[in-house]
Amino acid sequence: MPSTMPIARAEPALFGAVAAAASALGLGIRRNLANWPIMMGRALFYLVAMLVLSALWDKVAAQRLPGTLAHLLPAGGLTLYIGVTEWIALSVAAIHLRLEDDIRFGMLEPHLLRPKSYLVQKLAEAMGDSLGRLIGIGAAAVLALVLSGRAAPSPIAFVYVAVLGIFGTAVGVLLMTLVGLSAFWVRRVLPPYLIMQKALFLLGGLFAPISLYPGWFYHAAIVTPFAATLFVAGDQALAPSLAAFGRGLAAQLVWIVLLSGLIALVWRAGLRKVLREGV
Amino acid sequence: MNGFSTYAANVATAIRTSLMDRTNFILNSFGMVLNDVFFLVLWYMFFAGFRQVGGWGLHDVALLLGLVMVVVGISGVFFGGYRDMAATILRGEIDALLTQPKSVLARLLARESIATAWGDLAMGVWMLFTFAALSWSDLPLVVLGLVCGTTVYVSSAVVYASLAFRFAGARSFARDLTDFMLLFSSYPGSIYSGATKIAAYTLIPAGFVVLAPVAFLRAPSVSTLAIMIGSAVLYAAIAAFLFHLGLGRYRRGLVPTG
Repeated sequence: MPSTMPIARAEPALFGAVAAAASALGLGIRRNLANWPIMMGRALFYLVAMLVLSALWDKVAAQRLPGTLAHLLPAGGLTLYIGVTEWIALSVAAIHLRLEDDIRFGMLEPHLLRPKSYLVQKLAEAMGDSLGRLIGIGAAAVLALVLSGRAAPSPIAFVYVAVLGIFGTAVGVLLMTLVGLSAFWVRRVLPPYLIMQKALFLLGGLFAPISLYPGWFYHAAIVTPFAATLFVAGDQALAPSLAAFGRGLAAQLVWIVLLSGLIALVWRAGLRKVLREGV
Repeated sequence: MNGFSTYAANVATAIRTSLMDRTNFILNSFGMVLNDVFFLVLWYMFFAGFRQVGGWGLHDVALLLGLVMVVVGISGVFFGGYRDMAATILRGEIDALLTQPKSVLARLLARESIATAWGDLAMGVWMLFTFAALSWSDLPLVVLGLVCGTTVYVSSAVVYASLAFRFAGARSFARDLTDFMLLFSSYPGSIYSGATKIAAYTLIPAGFVVLAPVAFLRAPSVSTLAIMIGSAVLYAAIAAFLFHLGLGRYRRGLVPTG
């Protein structure tokens, strides 16, 4: 009998935590929908980004300079790839700003007294916000693809991209959470944020597939969480394959587990610092 | 005290505050240099693979990046409040400034000096005089280009931040737009044509932040000078107009809270 008591109490606690996180996720989605003018702005912003980036790659592809990597570019250009990576990059919610504010201005304390974990609630809310963005910007992306008259990828590619896009965005939110938690040590999270952004550019393949880079660079980049965020989903728009989809999904799940663990450690270390030294 | 000396005094205080925590200052500045190096490596690898885009090579992009970094550096050090202006509006922090005699916009811009901006400033100057191969004789033209580019950049950031007078979710969106303007500014000018050219010279005026100054530095003429100065005056006027329009809503209590 003694062993049943803790289990009996732990189960509702776990259920309560999950239910609270689900509520926060729903709140994030609803908040996003309520701010529909901003969502429209983001969709417009996505379309402008796509215009610029496809202009860059179309120009590079049109030149086809001898002795360059231009011959490695896919026949249809990189527009579809960039469309997917930008879709994910713009859907990652700015959780780092909320964490920076709460940590910098000493607003964590009231949350620490509450029964639900502050960090889990904020993460769930940010995931919900990201999910709302994925839907809104995704709709704009599909519309843009139809209107552009460019050849669409195969239907299965849409499925692969949708699944890997959602998990890639989750990895991105976790990376931004780490950026936000750096506010425990650096007052402004702008430098870590920009470094993370550039790492996503370079190692994640936001701007060009990492498969275009030299072999040694590709092998180094593919094992990073940045490639799991963007490249694995973008690559499916160019060359969909079940094997690559499986590998990409596995990499994303591994990174979600690893980054969650790292976030828990950083959170504890940061809290210890704040409770010991103050803000 | 006139408006300018009040502004100078506020900025001087903000700069002293940003320098107070030395460790934080060094970490931030170094972080920004690292970010800039990342960006440079990105373009270096791009041009190593593709050599040029529509006649633009690594040196041209280095000039562009150098100008962008200095513009961001100057903006962050002397007008650092632009970065968090939307959040400031949504948090209702303007209340305290409304009772003061000097311009609210100026007080908002001068309320913070961003430590990271020193890293951008240092890196930008280094790039202009090494990679972009400018000489000291180009200095007056570079300064003129930077003044105009900074005016357009800060004005556009104020326009984006003014969205917070109407929309609760404007904070991260205003930042995204400002960051995107920077990214937009760092692409070779040769890629812009048609719709992208219109966007680059209107909504996200990367064209006026750096492309117009680059055109002026490459071939100084009365027309390129007029375009550069005209755009700076126009964007400053638009920013002041939209900010004060929003401030009117704020005074009437019509602003969402975030």
